[in-house]
Amino acid sequence: MTRQRSLHASMVRRVLSTQAIMRITLAFWLVLVALAVGCAPPAAPTQGKIAFLLPETKTTRYESHDLPIFRAQLAALGFNVERDLIYSNATQDAAAQQQQAEAALTNGARVLVLDPVDSSSATAIAELAKARGVPVVAYDRLITDSAAVDYYVSFDNVEVGRLQAEALVAALTGEGNPQIVMLNGSPLDSNTTQYRQGAMAVLDGRVTIAQSFDVPDWSPDKAQEFMAQALTALGNQVDGVYVANDGMAGGAIAAMKAAGLSPLPPVTGQDAELAAIQRILVGEQYMTVYKAIHREATAAADLAYQLWLGRTPDPAQFNAQVDNGRIQVPAILLKPISVTRVNLRDTIFADQFWDPVEVCVGEYAVACVTAGIGIEEGVP
Amino acid sequence: MTTPAPLSGGSTLWAQVWSRVNRPDFAYVPMLFGLALIWAVFQLVNPNFLTPLNLTNLVLQIAAVGTIAVGLVLVLLLGEIDLSVGVVSGLAAAVMAVLNVKSGVPGPIAVLAGVGAGLAIGWVHGTWITKLRIPSFIVTLAGQLAWQGALLSVLGNTGTVNLRDPFILSLAGTFFKRDVPGGEMLSWVIGGLFVSLYAVGLAWERRQRLQAGLAARSLRSLVAQVGIIGVGGLGAIAILNADRGLPSALVLFIGIVVFFDYITRRTVFGRSIAVVGGSPEAARQANLDVDLIRISVFGLASMLAACGGILAASRLLAVHQSSGSGDVLLNAIAAAVIGGVSVFGGRGGVWSAVLGALVVGSISNGMDLLVVAPPVKFMVTGAVLLGAVTLDAVARRRREAAGL
Repeated sequence: MTRQRSLHASMVRRVLSTQAIMRITLAFWLVLVALAVGCAPPAAPTQGKIAFLLPETKTTRYESHDLPIFRAQLAALGFNVERDLIYSNATQDAAAQQQQAEAALTNGARVLVLDPVDSSSATAIAELAKARGVPVVAYDRLITDSAAVDYYVSFDNVEVGRLQAEALVAALTGEGNPQIVMLNGSPLDSNTTQYRQGAMAVLDGRVTIAQSFDVPDWSPDKAQEFMAQALTALGNQVDGVYVANDGMAGGAIAAMKAAGLSPLPPVTGQDAELAAIQRILVGEQYMTVYKAIHREATAAADLAYQLWLGRTPDPAQFNAQVDNGRIQVPAILLKPISVTRVNLRDTIFADQFWDPVEVCVGEYAVACVTAGIGIEEGVP
Repeated sequence: MTTPAPLSGGSTLWAQVWSRVNRPDFAYVPMLFGLALIWAVFQLVNPNFLTPLNLTNLVLQIAAVGTIAVGLVLVLLLGEIDLSVGVVSGLAAAVMAVLNVKSGVPGPIAVLAGVGAGLAIGWVHGTWITKLRIPSFIVTLAGQLAWQGALLSVLGNTGTVNLRDPFILSLAGTFFKRDVPGGEMLSWVIGGLFVSLYAVGLAWERRQRLQAGLAARSLRSLVAQVGIIGVGGLGAIAILNADRGLPSALVLFIGIVVFFDYITRRTVFGRSIAVVGGSPEAARQANLDVDLIRISVFGLASMLAACGGILAASRLLAVHQSSGSGDVLLNAIAAAVIGGVSVFGGRGGVWSAVLGALVVGSISNGMDLLVVAPPVKFMVTGAVLLGAVTLDAVARRRREAAGL
């Protein structure tokens, strides 16, 4: 009797619990579907947002300069950056950037300021924005092969390559037939082609390019590997190194130090990274190209703000038309500046791009004094 | 009914639910709860999460990784692993893109060539693993490096290849409502067909079991299950139609899942996979061609990776040097494991890939909506993966203790 009852009870419980699971699951889904359908007309954003999408975190400029300056300028224009600025960083992953752009559009972005991981495949993002009537500003890197790009804000990249090559050739004056190694940027980046174009216009016929690499992802580690191999292949006979940016210049210099080269041959760079400024101070790196990111980010913020207000931007602010393979994109192209130890003080430090307190630490303090860069001067 | 599981510990509702959940039939239930919880949380924090626009994006975002995860489910059923699926997906897409764009091969043929390249690569892996008895971990790790090199050399020095072929772009880029005349109606027909096929399949399975004198599920639980799938499936169609419509990527993805679900559950070959994974010795004694089964599974895994890569390329409109790298591999493994495929071999189903991809994809999508910084995103995804596997291991131990 007892046994029978407990058996009966366990069966009842079994059926009950099976049903319970099914019911609860069903209820959950019903609620979710109801929620989804209920929210079907997405609360039309009356205000709209500005989305700022940057490509990576390995190069310090994006999060230490571009973002804070862009944000500050928008705030100065009266834009509510806390509420209405969407910032995402794609950590060098084109698919992640596509997903971030979709998220930004879902979140009600009305303007897309996009620095693409991959200039070509960013086309998909631009087309998506276009389909939703959202204007696209290509920031720093062009979006190629797409008719959906509205504006372009960047530096004159051909000029960057030209400045690097001219500085290198000047540093090599007196060498018979200088032999150089060339470390170009990521082949995915449309700027790489333009840097090289500018550099080759100067280098052609004046130096021998013994080895040339396109470094994936602008990776300093890979630059170091390539440089080490080049030194081995050339028996350390290198008179100068053309390096497209500062991060990779660091890698190349590490490789040359490891190979015991002394003195180090002249090395070029770009971006005026803190570490590069320090290397220039102590003579390990010859030059860098200083791009006043302040002006670039400010110009982009101004443009984004005009578009956000729904105004047609004043054509007078565009100083060039850049061919992206499909259309001529109205562009704001800023002039880069060549920086060596000689004019460090009048450029980087005069602009307060870096604070001497950060640069002149430890072993660099003496070099700072020699170059006339005092910590007192840095205090405004 | 099967032998009743001993109801562990007391008669609280939770204990009863838990004991039911421990049964293999209900392996999906905890993850469905998990997914519902994730969705509810994101919806509370950002009301844009459960909008048709975002759910459509979510579907597009998971189709490629989910397809790759289907292949991984098969490999995991064997008790093996394939670490090359991410890179193989990129390579297959590159083969397709280069053939189509640079050599002018028509789109459909280029796609077949990409899929074929995947199959061939997997066959090589499988042969190596089976015939030379090298652990799959090593062979596919070596493959990951080697095929990355092949990817770079196939793409050549131009780096990125933009896709323009209408057929290739239509694979992931067609929306039934937006792009197909009468597509909205068609999507309802597809959805209805899917649900009815599912119901017929379940009913048929039950009838066969009963005829064979085997234990079968209660009619009630079958109806409930069909109800859930019906509401879920048709609800999804309704939501998608509120935006651009049913995306072709989803149709292809679900088509692949249904096909492989049929293969694994209803064919001798498919059932043998789990047998080989669970107990190779038993499989040998049952006269199964263990080697052929293993090789085929690796072939299928790479082939599905290729399909996923092609879907991803079709969505990105391009193939580039880092196609298939990044977190593609890890997300696919996470999807397969989170969905409930045991990493210990021999248990789980193909639908796990859908569920797992939905969980991984929802977390990624939701965190992007909340504009969470990448470092946090990676850590959260890692924590969810670990949590899901722990749940799986605990459930497995309880099942074993209960003698199931």
